[in-house]
Amino acid sequence: MNTHPRRHTQSSQGRAISAYAAAIRCCGVALAFIAALVALPGCRSGAPPLRFPPGAMVLKLAASTDVPTLDPAAGYDVDSWMFEQMIFDTLIRYSDAGVDLVPDLATTWESSADSTVFTFHLRHDARFTNGRIVTSADFKYALERVLDPATRSKGMEYYREIAGAEDFVAHRTKSVAGIETPDAWTIAFHLIAPDPIFLQKLAMPFAAAVPREVVEKWGEDFSRHVVGSGPFMLKQWIGGQRIVVVKNSGYFIKGVPHLDAVVQAIGVSEDLQWFKFEAGEIDVSNIPPAVFPYVMKTPRLRDLTLRIVTVTTRYMGMNCQMPPFTDERVRRALNYAVNKSKLIAVLNGRGIVANGVMPPGLPGYDPNLPGYPYDPARARKLLEEAGLVHGFEATLWMPADQTMMILGQSIQQDLELVGVHLRLKAVAFGPFLEAVRQPLTVPLFFMGWEADFPDPANFLDVLLSRQQWGGNNDTFFSDPRVEALLAEAAPLSDLARRYAIYREAERIIVSDAPWVFLYYPITYEIQQPWVHGYVLNPMRPARLEKVWLSPHPTS
Amino acid sequence: MLVYVIRRIVFGAAVLLGTSLITFVIAFVIPADPAVAVAGAKADPATLAAIRTELGLDQPLYIQYARYVDRAVHGDLGRSYIRREEVAGLIVSRFPATAILALAAMALSLVLGIPMGMLAAAYRERAPDNLLLVLSLGLVSIPVFWLGTILLIVGGLYLHWFPLGGFDGPKSLVLPTITLALGSAGYYSRILQTNLADAMDQEYVRTARGKGLSLRAAMFKHAMANAMLPLVTLAGLDFAGLLSGVVLTETVFNWPGLGRLAFEAVFNLDIPLVMGTVLFSAALVVIANLVVDLLYAWLDPRIRLGQQV
Amino acid sequence: MKFRLNAMETIGALMVLSLAVVAILAPWLAPYDPTRAVASTFGDPAAPSRMYPLGTDQLGRDVLSRIIFGARISLTVGVAAMAVTMTIGVTIGLTAGFFGGTIDFALMRFTDVMLTLPALLLAMAFVAVLQPSILSILLVIGLVSWTQIARVVRAEALSMTQRDFVVAARALGAPSARLIVRHVMPNVMPIIVVMAVLGTSGTLLLDAGLSFLTLGVPPPTPSWGRMIEEATTYFRVAPWLAIFPGLAIFYAVLGFNLLGYGFLRRRARAGVGL
Repeated sequence: MNTHPRRHTQSSQGRAISAYAAAIRCCGVALAFIAALVALPGCRSGAPPLRFPPGAMVLKLAASTDVPTLDPAAGYDVDSWMFEQMIFDTLIRYSDAGVDLVPDLATTWESSADSTVFTFHLRHDARFTNGRIVTSADFKYALERVLDPATRSKGMEYYREIAGAEDFVAHRTKSVAGIETPDAWTIAFHLIAPDPIFLQKLAMPFAAAVPREVVEKWGEDFSRHVVGSGPFMLKQWIGGQRIVVVKNSGYFIKGVPHLDAVVQAIGVSEDLQWFKFEAGEIDVSNIPPAVFPYVMKTPRLRDLTLRIVTVTTRYMGMNCQMPPFTDERVRRALNYAVNKSKLIAVLNGRGIVANGVMPPGLPGYDPNLPGYPYDPARARKLLEEAGLVHGFEATLWMPADQTMMILGQSIQQDLELVGVHLRLKAVAFGPFLEAVRQPLTVPLFFMGWEADFPDPANFLDVLLSRQQWGGNNDTFFSDPRVEALLAEAAPLSDLARRYAIYREAERIIVSDAPWVFLYYPITYEIQQPWVHGYVLNPMRPARLEKVWLSPHPTS
Repeated sequence: MLVYVIRRIVFGAAVLLGTSLITFVIAFVIPADPAVAVAGAKADPATLAAIRTELGLDQPLYIQYARYVDRAVHGDLGRSYIRREEVAGLIVSRFPATAILALAAMALSLVLGIPMGMLAAAYRERAPDNLLLVLSLGLVSIPVFWLGTILLIVGGLYLHWFPLGGFDGPKSLVLPTITLALGSAGYYSRILQTNLADAMDQEYVRTARGKGLSLRAAMFKHAMANAMLPLVTLAGLDFAGLLSGVVLTETVFNWPGLGRLAFEAVFNLDIPLVMGTVLFSAALVVIANLVVDLLYAWLDPRIRLGQQV
Repeated sequence: MKFRLNAMETIGALMVLSLAVVAILAPWLAPYDPTRAVASTFGDPAAPSRMYPLGTDQLGRDVLSRIIFGARISLTVGVAAMAVTMTIGVTIGLTAGFFGGTIDFALMRFTDVMLTLPALLLAMAFVAVLQPSILSILLVIGLVSWTQIARVVRAEALSMTQRDFVVAARALGAPSARLIVRHVMPNVMPIIVVMAVLGTSGTLLLDAGLSFLTLGVPPPTPSWGRMIEEATTYFRVAPWLAIFPGLAIFYAVLGFNLLGYGFLRRRARAGVGL
């Protein structure tokens, strides 16, 4: 703000006595100017007011950041998937509260004994909201779109094992031979190698049916004009302000959804969400860390909370190609130096100390992994052995987030005690992900990984295999023993043996310590007393078809 | 007069060009690879190269700059990397919220500040003036984001009088307006006091008063005109600043304005959006300056009559 | 020379002085290390108590110690940034005002361009490029704040330069540097002093604002603005976490403002124009 008036070199004697009238004139001009400015883009009070018919059942939510995209081929994050699963259907999906597979648009399916051929039979009565019936061709189109390099889909990697996919990706063929559609209600996938978890990959929104004519019409803007066959359809999306979906009355399951609409306000910080929840303005909310102890101590509120251990691991990744993290001893030292219980306390108990890569809830989880206890003396000894008796400096990168910052400072405190000086660097999420994938760029970073499908491969292969350097293996970790074990386990359908081998690989990884294993988060949400049927899923955003609201004052 | 106007407009355009050059330079110093931002981190080198050619990134910088200016003049400010929307469209959609807040805040700060200034000038050097001075200094010293946070919590949560942030009808306008206006009110009141007191000290006013002219008449008929002009000038320039968006207030109140748009743009290293918002706010300042200069020209007979100032 | 300070100046000076004392003597005044966890109040800030007069935050750090050390950062950044601003602004202003002509024109157009760029945004952009540290923050703040002083100094320099004796001296071949130092500077000094003092309140606020946006001096160094940002989420249960740092900023800024305005008043009363 200016702190000193602008001095005028013109003397005030030059003014005419009617200068006062002139001042009024100039104020008038200024006001006219202002009015023109405001009238120009159209002066409206924020977003146009939403109107619902009286008695409509509307679920009100809020989020701090905008939904990145609604295009199933593009979205690979919780916010996008929440809406995508409302608007689109996949062949199969997870049940409401668990990780077992149930039919979605497919009524039945068969897998070949060797897990290379998967055949699905579609229902005949599913329609896109533009009226057209969904057929097998729509699923084939959707997957080919995901595999097409021009779409730049982040899900491409999951479907490359389909026969003919590589040829398609390299533009040698116009379609993927391994996806067969003998008739409008049957679709079969042939894989080049056995993969028992291919079914799970088809349950990801990447494999949702999309109408070709709509995609081709809108091109890059498809995300803003999505048309699907799911229980809800997109009504309005004002970027940065709100997103509204309404009931799809043509949905193939009659009687659902109960809700007439779901409205999500965007740009509402976590604290504001809580305030709005208390005021009855939103129906379901997260609980900010500050308020958490208070909520748990208040029986009225505690009874409204929902709790689930998500299949997620939060860790601090160390770039194994950048010194001093090239030295195993340093990586182990950091694991001993970080006080993980303190982190959990800072989070008000909303987490479980992590001893390994795989979280509880993931099939294959090893509850007997000892992990690294808090032992700063041992940490110092290891650093000494590694020749770093005077400690060292490092920069910890993290996505910009208040909680991350606090956790970062907690770790900073711990590492200071063993001579490691941390610099904290918060980066916006987009650039953060970009940077972390570049080799030799980010030495130390916060990361979390939530299971996309319930199998150890989703963690061990995706995050720690050599293949994923530049992909999701941001620590650029590689151990030949682990590679061998991962290759051995991948095609196994005998789950007991499969998980046993993955556990062995995990033990080696924990010993190699490319990560400081931090915690498995526990998610708490809170719902208003008039919300019913809202169920948390450990691996996916909650489904909203079965939610209904009893009448309440702030409808 | 015409010459003066034309000169001023040309200057304004030149300044804007200069601003765009500096913005351009800054944008390309920011460490973000545009091709990667558009294509995603996993894109292969061939795709990245294709995108670079498409965006014209392989051209020398001055050609890129020329192309940017050319497009900007035609209203095309590029496409945001992160949001994939047109920058110009984004700015236009966020502008109304900012404009309304700016108007309200400016109005309130003048409504509060002018009477304060007048009172202080009337009782110059005496108790009311001193009190008002301390009050003004206090208002000016309060950190805007702190004030906003406290107002929001107290007004929105404890008292339930106002909505908790966001732009949702006239009630949501109250708290951010107060937050912004208080500091300016204090500031303007001091400006006015100083100028008003100076003006009332002029020979001809003192003479008139000596002849029996009342304080009120002296103030309104003679001193105000001279004193208001510097204030209006300042307010005009401040208003341009307000129209560019106020990041801190918008952050605290979750106001969907240009300030937060610009902040997110810088934070996300979203270069086209950064450049677009900076250029837009610079254009507003230039226009405001132009308007002020033109008003001076109109009011000052020397300029109107074509003499050098 | 008679040197009687008025009440405002005195209070302002005392406030600034107290701030400086706290900043300098921080290690001895603060009861605890501001970055270490000294209480086990993780995730659950504690109210002010006898052991921790201003309470502890969600990482177990003593708020009083953090406020005291925060004074160090605020004052350092505020004053140093003002020094940078003054250096750039005065140099440009003097050069433009004294030499006039094309130099003046070029410098003033450059200033105009800088004026149109929004300060906070520019600061953020710089921070995005540079690694945030005390040095880079104060440089950045200094770089975005100089336009006003440049204009004011230029105006004064211009009017001084046009005085008869200066014109004469130049015609006689007196070196410009000496003229500037001996004749222009002394008259410009009062303005510079006032603007420096008042400007410091501005740089302090800018620094606090940047910290609030988490773009200021990085942790674990305590910074008042950042303390407020970290405290917003706890406002309901621990309002003191946000109130005390805010009061600290208010105190510091007010001190400089009182000092500056008091000085202005004294000169105004003495009938000495600026």
